[in-house]
Amino acid sequence: MSHVDDGTLHAYLDGELSPAEVQGVEAHLAQCPACRGRLDEERALITRAGELLALAAPPDRELPPFRVGDVKPPTRLWWKVRLPLAWAATLVLALGIGTYLGSGVEQRQQPETAADAEPARPQALESPLSSERARRESRVKPRVAEMAAIPRDTALSAATPAPAPAPQPGFVMLDGALAEKASPITVDSARALLGADPLAVPGAPIRTMYRAREIGYSAVVIVEQALDSSTVIEVVNGRRSPLPLDAVVVTGAAAPGARADSVSAAERAPLSRARITDSLAAAPAAKAAARPLRRFDNLEIRISGPLPSDSLGKLLQLVQPVKP
Amino acid sequence: MSSVSPENLAEIYRTTYRALVRFLYRKVWDAERAEDLAQEAFARAVIHKPDNARGWLFIVAANMARDDARRAARERRHLTLLTAEPQETTLASDEAIEVESDRARVRAALDELSPRDREVLLLWDSGLSYEEIAAQTGLARGAIGTTLSRARRRLVQAYEAGKAGEHVARG
Repeated sequence: MSHVDDGTLHAYLDGELSPAEVQGVEAHLAQCPACRGRLDEERALITRAGELLALAAPPDRELPPFRVGDVKPPTRLWWKVRLPLAWAATLVLALGIGTYLGSGVEQRQQPETAADAEPARPQALESPLSSERARRESRVKPRVAEMAAIPRDTALSAATPAPAPAPQPGFVMLDGALAEKASPITVDSARALLGADPLAVPGAPIRTMYRAREIGYSAVVIVEQALDSSTVIEVVNGRRSPLPLDAVVVTGAAAPGARADSVSAAERAPLSRARITDSLAAAPAAKAAARPLRRFDNLEIRISGPLPSDSLGKLLQLVQPVKP
Repeated sequence: MSSVSPENLAEIYRTTYRALVRFLYRKVWDAERAEDLAQEAFARAVIHKPDNARGWLFIVAANMARDDARRAARERRHLTLLTAEPQETTLASDEAIEVESDRARVRAALDELSPRDREVLLLWDSGLSYEEIAAQTGLARGAIGTTLSRARRRLVQAYEAGKAGEHVARG
């Protein structure tokens, strides 16, 4: 018998040979010291490759619960807009209301002026349909219709009973960009997240710090500060994504063309949907570009609040690192 | 194999979710995004009820990761208008820096592989059998061992070469 080739050795070591093949390989190994030596080398190679891949493994987290019939697409950021359509509608609605009312802070400051039962918090977006919301909905209908026009989404939403909007994490409008606002964190956590001292306006008491997520940033911390008893500003500290995203692209885009053929037509449909989400994204991005922004090393700082933009701009010039 | 029931899918979720996240992570290099995409793949499986759910999930995940990367590229083009300077990763401790640079080295080494070799290696490392890998990649089952041996060798070589290069660069 001729020597065992590398591929067969790997298949043998991976336990992927048929019993007959195993017999053949072992018969040869028994009488071929050279191949036995190679077997050891390949075994070490497999171990080493496994170790290296383990270095690049995601953090081991608890398995999130699987809920049959209640599996929702991720709801973290706008680009995750997916089925079911009800969620898309909710999001577009959120954008509409956010743009209409201005920042979430503004709402929080003037609860008595708003018509909704609880308009003071961004979470109110998820409250049951009120007449106010119904009225706003008419403003965003064209966009909902546009999304509904994508055949795949239509098909899927028809197949899925549209669930009532479940409680979502709080969303806040940050200078026109939608960011998810998560739970409050400590200064130390903020520091660890940002890899630097978070920045805030000196002299104004810090009420809370939130962790948030926003596109293009690996970490976002929102520092809520009270300027006086009725004015609260939010200092948004964003750490830019450290990974060069174009490198990610090379990896993905270089997939062999043959792979595309293994994809069903239905699975290619997201491309057209991506275009829609792009058009949704373009507006906030352009808007954000026009807003005042300050950079400190890796951090980008913005301030939002119920103040004229030139006042916010001045506050932005005042921000200082919050020292331990 | 018959179409999956919700109970079957729950079982597949239990046994496959982490592997799927692991697979996706090596494509998007962002743990949370990998988890989001894995969740979405399962959400789609609930609707589609594919015959071979496990294989289907990995195919869908690979496609979503690719779309995600393209979208990220477009977003990045927008964002470069806002900020041009390169970003350094700032980390809390030496240990964290070491972990991060190891990860970066492995990532760079993986980038040295041909797309097909890389795909086969990542699928194997996510727990797929030769049979499943062959079905997913369109390669002959008999070619998987050869592909894996080449992929493993190149990964280790590229990693060592990268490490050696760093030492030279540091002088």
